[in-house]
Amino acid sequence: MTATLTRFLKGAVRPPENDSAFLLDVHRRAVPGRDRMRRYDDSDEVDLVIVGCGAGGGVLAQRLARRGWRIVVIERGPFWDPDEDWVSDEAGSHGLYWTDNRIIGGEDPVELGKNNSGWGVGGSMVHFAGYTPRFHPSDFEVHARDGVGADWPISYWDLKPHFERVERELPVAGEFWPWGDPHGYPHGPHPLGGGAELAAKGAMKCGITMKVGPVAIVNGTFGNRPHCIYRGFCLEGCKVNAKASPLVTHVPDALEHGVEIRADSMASRVETDGSGRCTGVAYIHDGAERLQRAAAVAVAGYSIETPRLLLSSATPDHPHGLGNDEDQVGRYVMVQGAPQVAARFPELARMYKAPPPEISSEDFYETDERRGFVRGFSIQTVAPLPIEWAQHALADGHWGEAMREYGRDYNHWSTLGVLCELLPHADNRVTLADETDRFGLSVARLDYSQSGNDRANIAFAKDKLHEVWEEAGAEETLTIDRYAHLVGGCRMGFSAEDSVVDSDHRVWGVPNLFIADGSVMPTQSAANPALAIMALASRLADRMERIGAGAETRSPVGTSSLS
Amino acid sequence: MTPPTTPQGRGRYPGYDVLDQVDHWDEATRRVVLARLDPPPIRFFDEDEARTLAAFCDTVMAQDSEPRIDVLAFVDEKLHEGRLDGFRYHDLPDDRDVWRIVARGLDEAARARDFSTFADALPAERRAICGDFAAGKLEGGAWEELNVSRAWEVVMRAVVQGFYSHPWAWNEMGFGGPAYPRGYAALGAGHKEHWEGDEAS
Repeated sequence: MTATLTRFLKGAVRPPENDSAFLLDVHRRAVPGRDRMRRYDDSDEVDLVIVGCGAGGGVLAQRLARRGWRIVVIERGPFWDPDEDWVSDEAGSHGLYWTDNRIIGGEDPVELGKNNSGWGVGGSMVHFAGYTPRFHPSDFEVHARDGVGADWPISYWDLKPHFERVERELPVAGEFWPWGDPHGYPHGPHPLGGGAELAAKGAMKCGITMKVGPVAIVNGTFGNRPHCIYRGFCLEGCKVNAKASPLVTHVPDALEHGVEIRADSMASRVETDGSGRCTGVAYIHDGAERLQRAAAVAVAGYSIETPRLLLSSATPDHPHGLGNDEDQVGRYVMVQGAPQVAARFPELARMYKAPPPEISSEDFYETDERRGFVRGFSIQTVAPLPIEWAQHALADGHWGEAMREYGRDYNHWSTLGVLCELLPHADNRVTLADETDRFGLSVARLDYSQSGNDRANIAFAKDKLHEVWEEAGAEETLTIDRYAHLVGGCRMGFSAEDSVVDSDHRVWGVPNLFIADGSVMPTQSAANPALAIMALASRLADRMERIGAGAETRSPVGTSSLS
Repeated sequence: MTPPTTPQGRGRYPGYDVLDQVDHWDEATRRVVLARLDPPPIRFFDEDEARTLAAFCDTVMAQDSEPRIDVLAFVDEKLHEGRLDGFRYHDLPDDRDVWRIVARGLDEAARARDFSTFADALPAERRAICGDFAAGKLEGGAWEELNVSRAWEVVMRAVVQGFYSHPWAWNEMGFGGPAYPRGYAALGAGHKEHWEGDEAS
């Protein structure tokens, strides 16, 4: 849809070929239709098994089910009933995160779990803040432009129709977006809370353009999904069904079109035969290992679990794991540098109200050589609730009476964060550790270290936040260093020597095995990845339809050939 | 009506009690939050560990008098149920072992200052030991078994969860608390819902 049209048609356009919002119950949050969900036998050879029901797996299932594919989704976590399972409470939301053990190392280790790892139907979008910016065209040609990182084998223009389509399905609310490829949004901007008002003031004085949004939170009439009630617990799962996650945006329609979602099931291995093709997925449910046969498999377990599953699926024919003959699986895992700076004001901001994601700027997104590093960052409001707020004070070195005083002062503070694009490095990788989990499977280890460019980007962005707050008249600031958003680990590329999948997300050397999550991203961007992961899965569905489920004959449209 | 409880009777929002709003919370949230007012007994730590670590939790949260939030009860329940956070630093043991090692290390540090245990040390001495812990400066004995700065992060992550998940802490800070299904309507800076507290001037 063109930018002009979205300006006039706010909220008026129903997404094509996705009835999810209309299939939901307006009074109950659980997905209707679970009781009459289609069931397959393990021995049925379905067209596709998808591992993981998050942003990638959920969208892929919905798209291909619409086209008649018989699909089983294996999901490690629960099939949520938000009325019962989710709470308006930080500590009480522990169950939303992937908390099976993982080891972290490297010079700058990345903490996992709460901040970046979901489980259950809906994946980590269940507890994402809600920001859904598009990637910029430059994100797909970082190496060509700046001589660092990698180029994608696809361009922004390949994904653009899918960005637009997913934006209507979520639906995304925000002001007209002037950065990257300028575009409008299907729903208008949400009102600002006190924290964002103060941030907007400072940004304006610094000459920084900030826009409201873009957030995947209903701001108007949208099927049976209610309007946001501004309760501020976006990161604890939306009990309202106003914030988007695949649980409400794609799963209802997927069930309606015959998808079976097997929750509480841990995929242990992708099975392959002597011909080099995969034949199904072994998984553990209720303590027993089972095998679901399938003509094709798509892995959508995200940047830690997807490489882990490929590495765990080693056979004599694939001694280093699937797609790993060239030692590429698990490499180039990326996170964004995401420091936050909080600022104190005389007035009460009460930042716990309204969605934490409110306004953002992409003024610093692109490379500017004067800064002394390549690529850039975006600026966004965040709004820590009490426990996160205490972590913020703790990170700045406060405990005891000082922490208590910052706690009592909470309502006077507002918080800004940045997302710095950190570059892909081969040694930032997932490997299998020596220890095993409760299923007897090797746990993942993630090593992560920053480069000089990464450190320079983070330092510059942090200074910029301090500048904004100073202009806004802040009396004091507190700073926390942190990361956000995993991507990479099974990147797409041009050959088996430089990547794990081709431009159709097909694993090199295993022609009917696909990867459908954020792990395929060759670079990180300075945008939150959820929308791009969904758009990639949406495009992948088009590609797989042309390739066919496990078809021996290759479609002429594929950009790579089978060996 | 009983006056609202804040830890140590300190707070900025006199008369504001988030617990007055429980009828406006959804049932699942109410269940989870109210359970914190009546925590289960200590099951994970032994008696000596519990005594040391309760003193540690009170010291690092400046809880020097009643009423106290029972932070250790929260930690104990979390560890007892194995609700870990989904990652482990390569140079640290399991969080459960980190807590036990920290308990030993704190007592060792207290003995170096001529007290029989950490809990028996004078408040100022306890604060000094915690300051060294926060700065990664404790060494010898138990502290050689882990990366001290990271161990501080591990234990404090759980401590602040225990303290700031308690509704008494929300009273102290004027936090509105759970707001489903009612939501918030007064959004801008300087605005408040009619039921929210006023800051003491």
